[in-house]
Amino acid sequence: MNSVGEACTDMKREYDQCFNRWFAEKFLKGDQSGDPCTESFKRYQLCVQTAIKEKDIPVDGVEFMGPNKDKPES
Amino acid sequence: MKIWSTEHVFSYPWETVIKAAMRKYPNPMNPNVVGVDVLDRSLDKEGRLHSHRLLSTEWGLPGIVRAILGTNHTQTYVQEHSIVDPEKKKMELCSTNITLTNLISVDERLLYSPHPDNPDVTILTQEAIITVKGVSLGSYLEGMMAMRMSANAMKDSSSAVPSTFPATPHKAGGFSARRDPLQLVLILPCSGSSDRRCNVAKDEWFLELELRVVGQSLAGVSQCKLKTINSYSNQGKRGIQDHFPYC
Repeated sequence: MNSVGEACTDMKREYDQCFNRWFAEKFLKGDQSGDPCTESFKRYQLCVQTAIKEKDIPVDGVEFMGPNKDKPES
Repeated sequence: MKIWSTEHVFSYPWETVIKAAMRKYPNPMNPNVVGVDVLDRSLDKEGRLHSHRLLSTEWGLPGIVRAILGTNHTQTYVQEHSIVDPEKKKMELCSTNITLTNLISVDERLLYSPHPDNPDVTILTQEAIITVKGVSLGSYLEGMMAMRMSANAMKDSSSAVPSTFPATPHKAGGFSARRDPLQLVLILPCSGSSDRRCNVAKDEWFLELELRVVGQSLAGVSQCKLKTINSYSNQGKRGIQDHFPYC
């Protein structure tokens, strides 16, 4: 699976592998100690944020919209 | 304004299903999702894992359709927030489109939890709220299917975990894999009395359109057909078939 930023795909894969391992072997078994993926996540994030800005993708902190909420027009 | 909701049972324990759900893409049953990125991830005070993700979807819409939709972008984007509670064994996932929001909102909510009658089995409840905007009549579609997502959900589910449930045969109007022509069924309001596809005098306000990408020309341009299947009134279906190709 690719990243939204072409340059970020390798970093994404590295982070995903780390996360999936931690998720299956630690988190789901109730062990929340130490996230070993913070470094790879930081690198990956920097790349993704740059790509999002470049592509002008309207990411925001908006949560799931119920029927009574308005969405901002794009 | 809930449009549809569906329940699906996986014959696997919750942990197995969740692990697969987190790795749902790439997914040959839903090849339109071409990119997934994690925007943020954190643990809250209750030990639940929050993830914010960005999904990039590519529909391969031909130029004429993009012109109709008023967009130059070939990809649409969906933002997703999920919460995994390993103690309560609950995974909740909410997603919403963040592009084409001037035309349509598709808000989806998924909930994975162990089946109340059998803890070795997982139940997925999925619901969508779909809102069509830019309606000249100023009315929303109530109780009508805008997109057939159930078929898609079944296909997504059946590929994420090796499973024993039967594959859903592709139904006309569902999103299909690229191997088949891409089909999309849209229910849109008629754009006023000047829209000759609707007979407003007969109280027909809504159109059911089937958009099919039927192939590619040698030049690599997608060929499509936009067919009016039916027009509806507020009181229910009226069966008028009108065929016209757009491309």
